[in-house]
Amino acid sequence: MKNKIIMFWVIVGIALACIFTIYKKPTKLGLDLVGGSRIMLEARTTDTIREITPEVMRRLQIAIESRVNKLGVSETSVAQVGDKRLLVEIPNVTDLKEAEAFLGKTALLEFKQPVLDANKQPQRDDKGQLMWESTGLTGEDLKSATIGSDQTGQWTVSLEFNGKGANKFAQLTEKLVGQQMAIIFDGEEISAPVIREVIYGGRAEISGGNSGFKYEEAEKMVNLLNAGALPVPSEIIQENTVGPTLGADSIEKSKFAGLIGVGLVMLFMIFYYRLPGLIADIALCVYALILFALFKIIPVTLTLAGIAGFVLSVGMAVDANILIFERTKEELKAGRNLFTAINLGFDRAFTSIFDSNVTTVLTCIILYFLGTSVVKGFALTLALGVIVSMFTAITVTKNFMHLIFGTGELKYPALFGLSKDEIGKGYEATETKREKARFGILD
Amino acid sequence: MFNFNKTVHVVKYRILWICLSACLLLPGIVAMIYSMINYPTHSPVKVGIDYTGGTILQYGVPESVNNEDISKTRETLDKIGAENSYIQILNVNPTEKNKNIKSIISIRTKFIDEGSDMAEQITNAIQKEYKNSELIQVSSVGATLGKELFRMSLIALALAILGMIIYISLRFKFEYAVAAILGLVHDVLFVVGVFSILGIFCNVQVDGLFLTAILTIIGFSINDTIVTFDRIRENLRYYGKKMSFGEIVDASVTQTIARSVNTSLTAFITLAALYFFGGVTTKDFVLAMMIGVVVGTYSSIFFCSMLVDIWEERKAAKAKAAV
Repeated sequence: MKNKIIMFWVIVGIALACIFTIYKKPTKLGLDLVGGSRIMLEARTTDTIREITPEVMRRLQIAIESRVNKLGVSETSVAQVGDKRLLVEIPNVTDLKEAEAFLGKTALLEFKQPVLDANKQPQRDDKGQLMWESTGLTGEDLKSATIGSDQTGQWTVSLEFNGKGANKFAQLTEKLVGQQMAIIFDGEEISAPVIREVIYGGRAEISGGNSGFKYEEAEKMVNLLNAGALPVPSEIIQENTVGPTLGADSIEKSKFAGLIGVGLVMLFMIFYYRLPGLIADIALCVYALILFALFKIIPVTLTLAGIAGFVLSVGMAVDANILIFERTKEELKAGRNLFTAINLGFDRAFTSIFDSNVTTVLTCIILYFLGTSVVKGFALTLALGVIVSMFTAITVTKNFMHLIFGTGELKYPALFGLSKDEIGKGYEATETKREKARFGILD
Repeated sequence: MFNFNKTVHVVKYRILWICLSACLLLPGIVAMIYSMINYPTHSPVKVGIDYTGGTILQYGVPESVNNEDISKTRETLDKIGAENSYIQILNVNPTEKNKNIKSIISIRTKFIDEGSDMAEQITNAIQKEYKNSELIQVSSVGATLGKELFRMSLIALALAILGMIIYISLRFKFEYAVAAILGLVHDVLFVVGVFSILGIFCNVQVDGLFLTAILTIIGFSINDTIVTFDRIRENLRYYGKKMSFGEIVDASVTQTIARSVNTSLTAFITLAALYFFGGVTTKDFVLAMMIGVVVGTYSSIFFCSMLVDIWEERKAAKAKAAV
């Protein structure tokens, strides 16, 4: 009995610690609940970079990170997935298409010179367009880019080269005096001004050609240039963006549904199993507390599928208690005394509980390692739930049962939802002496 | 409530259980064959963008939208080049924080490339037709990734079943494992069959979460089966010499049926709460699990125990013939 009282206080202590943790630590909510973008990028090879090496991925990740940071939202994350993919998560996005437009661009700024023929005349292709070739001067040689405006009031992008870039630019303009130089951004020709004189000092200005830049265009280009070019182009292969309204709606509904579901299960337990049912409900509360505290400590990001996993795990957590109580009732019907019946209920149900929970955890492990991030959330919460429920449904319930019922006689079978007539009318059990000793059967 | 004091006759009525299972499975199997012949993807169910690739744009609309309104929307979309888009309306119960969304229009198109402004065009078209509508969700999956996800799903499914066979073979006998797996196939076929029928008549598409539901059903159904088998094993130890195998099966089922039904009931209650009061996005996922829980309970009580009995009976008959 003394051990049981110590155990009781241990359980109370755990519960209080959990309440404290839940109160202190914030819940990490998934993007589908707060609203936001989850974008999967895949790196593509180019003519110059034929293989996506870990080094290329590292550079790509840094470049993407710096762009995402430029969006000015907190708690963004960029993580590598597999060999050549990046998972970008941006919470609280309001403009659903904004983030995407920002990530897709390679932001490769190139300065190109005309291809000259034997007579030093610019060559044209079949369609009469000027042909360009690389000069080796790119956005990597930039120190910074800013928005400016020219005399006519048009928006421009002002470039400042770094030392090396300034030299290259000076040499290039010297070579190209009187000729055109193309400024190409992400493969698109922005303008092709005629170089009138050599430009020293490493400063240049890009105007938006004949039509000029819109302010947004200039701003976006400046941001992209400052964030740096991507070493390789990347393509969006998966995207899920949830607006803040839908997120708020989902979280509210899930909470409500969860409460209703758990409430109904609790009522069912009391209605069907009476006093033991009430004890199971208390164990279920302890279960919910421990699980929530674990979610916050690990931390598990709660998603819609994760909440579904949690709610389902509540349904499954009482499974262990149902198994135990059914068994206890059977033993009572078989005419055993209360203490033995409770012990037998727990001991005999244990193999069933263990076996069935192992298979559930097995499925969860497979889901966790092979599933997408949504599936992972579900698998993790369900697996944690099943494991925690093993503790609460067995240890906690058993402790409370023994404390409440002790070793006395069962005076009121109604407490177990049984009638007096049923006692002693059940199946006849025949245990060996060894089993009697193991199960603590009192004759 | 569920007071099963009478013996449940699994063995005696086994023809009945076989017929019932056949009746449950047949419509679904027909629907699956029909789907495999008729769908361009040759899949037994209508598959969503997770597996085929594509883009889904969802708009929240502050008024109730009906199917007639949608035919107009469809024409508009055809005009701007988003032809063959699949449009679906989801009705939403407005909540405190979210009074402005009564319906969700969900438009599924081909995968919209980053460079394309198709998404903006569709948004403009929708907002012209439904004032105050807003884009609330965008999901996009590239075609290659879709194929990859599909492959991963099949691997996951195969691994899960393999894991179950190994585990049950270790804990029980191999024949129990076979019976349990046949029970699983029974349950999975039924759920996939229902979704195949829903796909044909209500255009329900399965996504990555559906696979999760299937795997959860597998876990749950095995759960029930194991409890029943565990009891058969225990009873065999105590009464194996006094009773026939069939009697032991009946007794074991009788002893565990209250537990099986009650456990499923609690899981069902929580799922039903999620289905009726939870978010729109997980509805099909929850529905699949609800169906799975019910059929899984039936199969583990009646179908699997019957199979074990048939197997044991044959073995006994063979042993007799050998003597």
